[in-house]
Amino acid sequence: MSPLLFGRRTIRALTTTGAPDTSGGRSLWQDARGRFVCNRAAMASLAILCVLVLFVLFGDFLAAWSNEEIDWAMLGNVAEEGGPSFANGHYFGVDELGRDLYARTVQGTGISLMVGVLGALVSMVVGTLYGAVAGYLGGAVDNVMMRIVDVLMAIPYMFVLIVFMVVFGRSILMLFVGIGLISWLDMARIARGQTLSIKNRDFVEAAVAIGVRPGRIILRHIIPNLLGVVVVYATLLVPSMIIYESFISFLGLGVQEPDTSLGALISDGASQMQYGTLWQLLFPLSFFVTTLFAFFFVGDGLRDALDPRDR
Amino acid sequence: MIYYVARRLAVAVPTLLILIIVSYVLMYAAPGGPFDTERTLPPEVMANLQHKYGLDQPLVVQIWRYVVSIVTEFDFGPSFQYTDQTVNDIIRQGFPVTLTYGAWSFLVAVLAGVSLGIAAAVCHNTFLDYLCVGVSVGAQVLPNFVLAPVLTLVFTLWLAWLPGGGWQGGHWPYVVLPVIALSTSFMASIARMTRSSMLEALNADFIRTARAKGLPMRRIVIRHALKPAMLPVISYLGPTFVGMITGSVVIDVFFATGGIGQFFVNSALNRDYPVIMGITILAGALTIAFNLVVDLLYAWLDPRIRY
Repeated sequence: MSPLLFGRRTIRALTTTGAPDTSGGRSLWQDARGRFVCNRAAMASLAILCVLVLFVLFGDFLAAWSNEEIDWAMLGNVAEEGGPSFANGHYFGVDELGRDLYARTVQGTGISLMVGVLGALVSMVVGTLYGAVAGYLGGAVDNVMMRIVDVLMAIPYMFVLIVFMVVFGRSILMLFVGIGLISWLDMARIARGQTLSIKNRDFVEAAVAIGVRPGRIILRHIIPNLLGVVVVYATLLVPSMIIYESFISFLGLGVQEPDTSLGALISDGASQMQYGTLWQLLFPLSFFVTTLFAFFFVGDGLRDALDPRDR
Repeated sequence: MIYYVARRLAVAVPTLLILIIVSYVLMYAAPGGPFDTERTLPPEVMANLQHKYGLDQPLVVQIWRYVVSIVTEFDFGPSFQYTDQTVNDIIRQGFPVTLTYGAWSFLVAVLAGVSLGIAAAVCHNTFLDYLCVGVSVGAQVLPNFVLAPVLTLVFTLWLAWLPGGGWQGGHWPYVVLPVIALSTSFMASIARMTRSSMLEALNADFIRTARAKGLPMRRIVIRHALKPAMLPVISYLGPTFVGMITGSVVIDVFFATGGIGQFFVNSALNRDYPVIMGITILAGALTIAFNLVVDLLYAWLDPRIRY
């Protein structure tokens, strides 16, 4: 641990308590934060993610064109004149219809990030609750609930998701719901496993002894103790959510025009690359790869920081 | 063992039934019927058509008929979009293609992944090891739909070595790019998994004993370390298989190989429900069967497993 870090922590202790903290007690979260900050790849990835979020939120203010506007001057000779250029305001070039690729990348990255984070959030909430209830109640209820998870896990989810999208119409909302509903299964298993080890601890027994009802025990005592593991897994889930969404959009079954996502942009770029408009493939692709890399490293860093086994 | 197989089958069969029923109900609930055209048909004609396909029956009866025709005759019904073809014709046409490059991809992913992983573990902390780790980290962010365009860009457009699409009856140049695109990310996962479990196995006490006895390294790896190191990899074969089935949709669409994935996406875009359902059920059945085989293999290889 670097001396700087130690100093920062001491300063924090001084400012919060107003007196030197001689007991030296550190919470689990403080400990974890220290380890995370030391992980260079994770911190760099976190910085990249922040830049990406800023790009999504404020990128539109820099754009000279909107994502739906067609630059008629470009249409028809996209391959010769549509390349990235600062002179005409198309920083990333234009797509085959003469729309500004920069504005579309801003929007696509935004939708991909949003689907990733919200999908992980849905699966986190549903999976944690389901797993905690199954694990805490135990017995026949647990058995039935986990068998249901087993059955659902054996189904090729991507096909079901596509059927789902076809039947209920293609929209971003359906994508959220569909992806979130299918991806909570692993989360439920993890949460259940953790619950089994937590529910025999003294503090849960104490709560049972003073007559706290099961629902309250699960919400107030079990779930807060699951959070470490769940948050780590949810962070690692975000990139796979982004991959799911891009997979479906790549096939043309996801978001609808004029909305777009990184998968749809990559698909467009791939179908146009024989005409030499490579920027159409390479810009969305590099954004996609960067986003995934950043999330993977942050997730790994969080796991190293929070998982007591790998210390 | 027989009891274990029976219990696994007892879960597998209801799973498949649930898949069939859920997809049928979804299709039933979907807006728009199969005979909706621009020109509204006279109600009598509509009623006759509905009657001919049994669509005037209650939902339960329809599901029952559908399940019975699948189980007894392996008949998934007619396609709405390709009116002269049944779902069976479409599957018969597309499935061999998907199976060909799917099987190759599976082989490549497993064999290359396991060899790379073992090599990395044996040569721990050498260039080969770093290469293996680098490849597996890199391949995490290169799912098949990202890799496929990049491969086509390099090998078809720039180098002009391989065709960027088509099938031509499975002539080998047409198979190479689909196989690489489909297998790489799984190969990387398998390599990573093999490497870590092999490292763990090589640090175990019984390996140290074998070394102390003076056995050559090759023999130690093959006879002693390989089996315990393979167990996690075998349990990963199931997800690999599912991933290949799912990935084949992208491969079929991108490389226009004419496999079932292409039909699937086409039908999804045109709301050709019987085809969507047929392919979904086929994928489900394959997945369930394969998972069963993997579990049995695992139980057979690992004597510590109790049934």
